Amino acid sequence: MGDLSLDAIYKDFPSHRVVDGISLTIPQGCFYSLLGPSGCGKTTTLRMIGGFDEPDRGTIQLGGRTLNGLRPYQRPVTTVFQNYALFPHLTAAENIAFGLERRRDPDAARKVQAALDIVQLSAKAGRLPAQMSGGERQRTALARALVVEPELLLLDEPLSALDPKLRKQMRLELKELQARIGITFLFITHDQEEALSLSDQIAVMHKGRLEQIGTPQQIYLQPATRFVAGFLGAVNWVGDVGVRPELTRISREAPAPGARVLEATVNSSMFLGDCLQVETRTPAGDHIIAQIAHGLGEFRRGDRVHVWWRPDDEMALPQ
Amino acid sequence: MNRLRALFLLPAWAFTLLLFLGPLLIIVAYSLRTKGVYGGVGPPWTLENYVRLFDPLYGVILLRSFLMAAVSTLGCLALAFPLAYYIARSGRRKTLLLNLVMLPFWTSFLVRTYAWMFLLRDTGLINSALLAAGLITEPLPLLYNDGAVIVGLIYGYLPFAVLPLYSNLERLDKSLLEAAADLGARPSQTLLHIVLPLTAPGLRAAGVLVFIPCLGAYLTPDLLGGGKSMMIGNLVQNQFTSARDWPFGSALSLALMAIVMFLLWTLLRRDGGEML
Repeated sequence: MGDLSLDAIYKDFPSHRVVDGISLTIPQGCFYSLLGPSGCGKTTTLRMIGGFDEPDRGTIQLGGRTLNGLRPYQRPVTTVFQNYALFPHLTAAENIAFGLERRRDPDAARKVQAALDIVQLSAKAGRLPAQMSGGERQRTALARALVVEPELLLLDEPLSALDPKLRKQMRLELKELQARIGITFLFITHDQEEALSLSDQIAVMHKGRLEQIGTPQQIYLQPATRFVAGFLGAVNWVGDVGVRPELTRISREAPAPGARVLEATVNSSMFLGDCLQVETRTPAGDHIIAQIAHGLGEFRRGDRVHVWWRPDDEMALPQ
Repeated sequence: MNRLRALFLLPAWAFTLLLFLGPLLIIVAYSLRTKGVYGGVGPPWTLENYVRLFDPLYGVILLRSFLMAAVSTLGCLALAFPLAYYIARSGRRKTLLLNLVMLPFWTSFLVRTYAWMFLLRDTGLINSALLAAGLITEPLPLLYNDGAVIVGLIYGYLPFAVLPLYSNLERLDKSLLEAAADLGARPSQTLLHIVLPLTAPGLRAAGVLVFIPCLGAYLTPDLLGGGKSMMIGNLVQNQFTSARDWPFGSALSLALMAIVMFLLWTLLRRDGGEML
């Protein structure tokens, strides 16, 4: 057991460079997310750690042991694939037993049962993948990868195939599970909400490079680049300064001194359920959106207002 | 509309009834008749021809045919599986490679079997080359034996094995192979536990498609076996030609058909009919 470290990893595809010099260290026991838009190289990075692709340059080490050149079956790493890749001819229990049988584990039967219990699939042990729901397949894939006690679990967008309600529930279960078993999770996703809510650490990837590494709070509140700021959520840009809509206030009267204030005209007002979203335009032509709680006033198109925020909430990111 | 449909289907139905079912009924009728003094068929009606099928003499030939067909089928599958696997994984060159597999069909089977005689005979290409290279002093007995027949059968029916296996392997999800490796399976274990079970329908289809024509083959054993390697197809041919025993020939071919249909039925039932 130990930390995973990537050191200056490069990978070229025939048409372009997919991974462009990535270095990062994932502490043991961490829930670590690799977040980025599709095509940013995050899946290729995961495949190189799993052993399905080899980096052109750079080293991958786990607990000080170099993984480069090892076949997937030689690495103490398992994967939950995006489409789960469950063996269609094997039942849930047989899928979970697959890795243990390859290792000739004498304790396989007990471990399979324990794994089925952990993911609450004991009642479905005899089902084939085709007879399971999306959530059950996801849990089978998770149990199958965890039962062989890997040092590191790779998860390739494991929640993307589920419907939104189930996705939120599985997110909770995943977080709980990781906390309970304590092995390192490397989670690949393009969904910033997923990454923010699950992770201890997030690395944001863009065009094959790392844009920023940090805790969810750091990434969201102190983004290092405009890309990170924009990828993690909506931003009101005023020149080199950005502020999140939910940290932007709006009022008819001027606020107390100390705040950054702009005068603006209301363009539209939208009820979003959990908040009211007011879109305004400043005389300089900047669009400023404020998301405010209910009961903080009614705003109509054409109203003259002040939009303002605390200087602490500003993100200074030159273009 | 229905009348129009019937009109268009009429030729196919007429063809099937007259030219497929008709001859079959004639064979059934012949098999129940008695051999004429100068060949041909005549009265009385009898089951004698079917009783003769159980003569150990013919049992041996039937058993031999099964054995030859089984060995050829296994040979075909063993060659076809890696080939189909390779083609299914070769991206844009798939079409080219598949066409190469089909290429032999562009010439007649008879001509290609003769070509094998030129390869295998004592003065043939292989023996001449080996003699010239000084590797042997006497020509190897390559032609006119069971080995030659099996080689000829494998050669002739290899494409029939490659195609169903290819279509099966092509549909095999590559991420399943990665998942198996990820969980600790070596390539041989992945083959045994994942690839083979998932391509079993293709293997069965390929096996049936090769086994059935091999069982009934008569051209290949006749030419490459040189009459020394008789299979049931040759026996049938014999009854209709030199033995002039059409009723017994008919009974033999119906028995062969019954065996083949039984095999097909067992396999089709297992795959729920989607095999072919």
